[in-house]
Amino acid sequence: MAAPSAAGLCRRLRAWLPRIMPVRWSRYNPSYLEPEVKTEAYQKPLEELTEEEKEQMELKAVRPIKAAPPTLSSSVFSDPMISKFTNMMMKSGNKVLARSLMSQTLEAIKRKQLEKYHKAPENEKETIECNPYVIFHQALKNCQPIIGLSSITRGGKTYQVPVPLTDNRKRFLAMKWMITECRENKHRRTMMPEKLSQELLLAFNNEGPIIKKKHVLHKMAESNRAYAHFRWW
Amino acid sequence: MGGRSAAVMAAAVGRVLRLCRRWGAGPGAQTLRLICTTTAVQRKNAGASGPEKYTEAFIKKQIEEFNLGKRHLANMMGEDPETFTQEDIDRAIAYLFPSGLFDKQARPLMKHPTEVFPEQRKIQWGEDGRPFHFLFYTGKQSYYSLMHETYEKLLNVQKHQDELIAQDLPLQKEKRNLAGSRWLTKIELEEMLVEKMSDDDYSRFIRLLEKLVALPCADLEEKYIQKFSKEVPAQLQKVLIEPLQYDERGVAFSTGEGRRKTASATAVVYDNGTGKITVNGIDILHYFPVLQDREQLLFPFQFLGRIGKHDMVCTVSGGGRSAQAGAIRLASAKALRSFVTEKEVEFMRQAGLLTVDPRVKERKKPGQEGPRRKFTWKKR
Repeated sequence: MAAPSAAGLCRRLRAWLPRIMPVRWSRYNPSYLEPEVKTEAYQKPLEELTEEEKEQMELKAVRPIKAAPPTLSSSVFSDPMISKFTNMMMKSGNKVLARSLMSQTLEAIKRKQLEKYHKAPENEKETIECNPYVIFHQALKNCQPIIGLSSITRGGKTYQVPVPLTDNRKRFLAMKWMITECRENKHRRTMMPEKLSQELLLAFNNEGPIIKKKHVLHKMAESNRAYAHFRWW
Repeated sequence: MGGRSAAVMAAAVGRVLRLCRRWGAGPGAQTLRLICTTTAVQRKNAGASGPEKYTEAFIKKQIEEFNLGKRHLANMMGEDPETFTQEDIDRAIAYLFPSGLFDKQARPLMKHPTEVFPEQRKIQWGEDGRPFHFLFYTGKQSYYSLMHETYEKLLNVQKHQDELIAQDLPLQKEKRNLAGSRWLTKIELEEMLVEKMSDDDYSRFIRLLEKLVALPCADLEEKYIQKFSKEVPAQLQKVLIEPLQYDERGVAFSTGEGRRKTASATAVVYDNGTGKITVNGIDILHYFPVLQDREQLLFPFQFLGRIGKHDMVCTVSGGGRSAQAGAIRLASAKALRSFVTEKEVEFMRQAGLLTVDPRVKERKKPGQEGPRRKFTWKKR
C-alpha cells in the first residue's frame, strides 16, 4: 500500500485520462479544479491542516479554478444537497417555482415540528428536531439504499443481480424516489410542499412508503444473492 | 494467362534485382530506398503508417534548398544572411507576398522542412521482409516497448527497495516538486514515439508512470521519469490590481468589469457605504425580484465579510436575468480586489469568484433539432 503522501502525489500529477470517450464534455480545460466556497475552509490556521489538505492547498495555488455556479454561494442558506434536490424537482427550467416550492416545504416542516414541540411535555422537548435542514438531510440519508439491482443477460435469460452502489447513485436514488412518490401518490388537491414535508418527516422517523421501497429493494437483493457472481465489475 | 503470369514474374524478379543492387550499393545500409514497390512490400502492415512518402534524400534536398533560399531572401531584404532568423523570414514573406486569405494556413509560408513535412518512420523491416523490432507484429511496437521499459524500471526500483528493507535502512522519501510539473499530453507522446496510440493506451501508460513515481525510491529512475514530464509555469499570470481611486468627496472607489454569457456589466464599488446596491439606476430589490440573483450579487461581499461596508453602482446590459447577475458578481469581485489584501484575493480566486465563466449556449448541429436533441426516430 502506498503511503498517503504518495497517493497525494499521484493525484497531483494526474493528467486528464479519458477512459472512455466522454459524451459529456466541459467548456473548462481538464486542469481546472472545483471552487471551495465556504469561508471556514480559508480561516483554518496552517498548523491544523493534515498532509492531504496541505498538498491540496499547494495544488490549488498552481492550478486554475472553475467559476462558482449561480446556485452556489458562501451564505449559510446555500446547501449543495438542497440545490440538487431543487434542480431535480424543476420542470422545464422553471427554477423560480422549484425554489419557492422548496422553501415552502422547509417552512411547512418547521411549522409542523414547532407545533409538536409546543404540544410536547417538558422532558420530550429536547428530542424533537426543529431544524428543517437537519430533518431533510437525515430523511434523505435514511432513504438511501445500500445495495442495488442490475439486469444482466446470460444465456437468453435476464437476471436481477445485486450490485454495490456509489455514493452519488445512492443520493440520486433517494431523491428520485422522494420526488416520484410525492408527485404520484397524492390527492389531486394536495400541494407539493405539504406532501413533501409529510414524506420527509415520515422518512426522518424511518417510516413511510419510501423507506418501504428501500426495504423491498434490499429484500430483492438478498433473495437474488445466488446471482451475485454474475457481476464482473 | 501463362504469358501474363510470366511477364508479371519477370517484372517482379526485375524489381527484386534492382532492389538487391541498391541494397548492395549502400555501405551497410539497412533501409531500402523503395522507388518502386514490390508485391511483397505492398502487404498492409500496421507498423508503418503507409509507404514512405518522403525519402531521406528528398528531405535533405529540401533542407538545402531552404537554406539557400534563406540566404537569397536575406540578400533581397538587405539583411545579413548569417543572422536571419525565422521571424525575419516570416516578416519578409508577408511583405513580399501580401495575402488577404482568411485561412492563415493557406497563406504563403517558408519554414524549415522538418516543420513542414511530418516526421515519419523509416521502413521497419529488412530486405528479406523480417522486421527489425521484436515487437513489430504487435502493431504498436514503440508503445509496447515503452511499456516494457517502464515496467523494467519499476521492477528495478522495487528490487532496490527490497534490498534497503532487508538491510533495515530507511527508504528515501525526498518529495519531488510535483505541483509544477505535468505529464506529456497524448499528442506530445505520439510525436515522441512517431506512432499513433489510442486514449486507452495513453491512460495505461500514465497510470504506470504514476505507479512508478509513487514508490519511495523512485529517485533512482529520476532521469527516465523526467523524459515524460514537463514543467508547468508555477506562477499563474500575475494580474495587475488597480489602485484605489478617490472621487470629489474623498471617498475611495474602484471599478470592475465582468461578462457572463451575453451580458456585460461594470460595477463601481464605493468605500464607507451602507450596503446600498443600485443597478441601472434601480435598486436591486426591484431589478432582481428573484432571491437567487440577489444572493449572487452579495456573494463576494459576504465571502469577504464586508456586507454593510460598501456601496455599489452598476450598469448591466444584454443576457438574461441570471447572466446579468453573474456578470455583476464578476465585476464586483474584480472591483473588490483593490480594497483587499493579496491573500484574500487568492482566497477569492480559489472560491471561483474571479474566473470568467466560459459556458455559453451550445450551437445547433445540422441533422439534429437542437444542440443535443436528435430528430424523432421513425422506423419507416
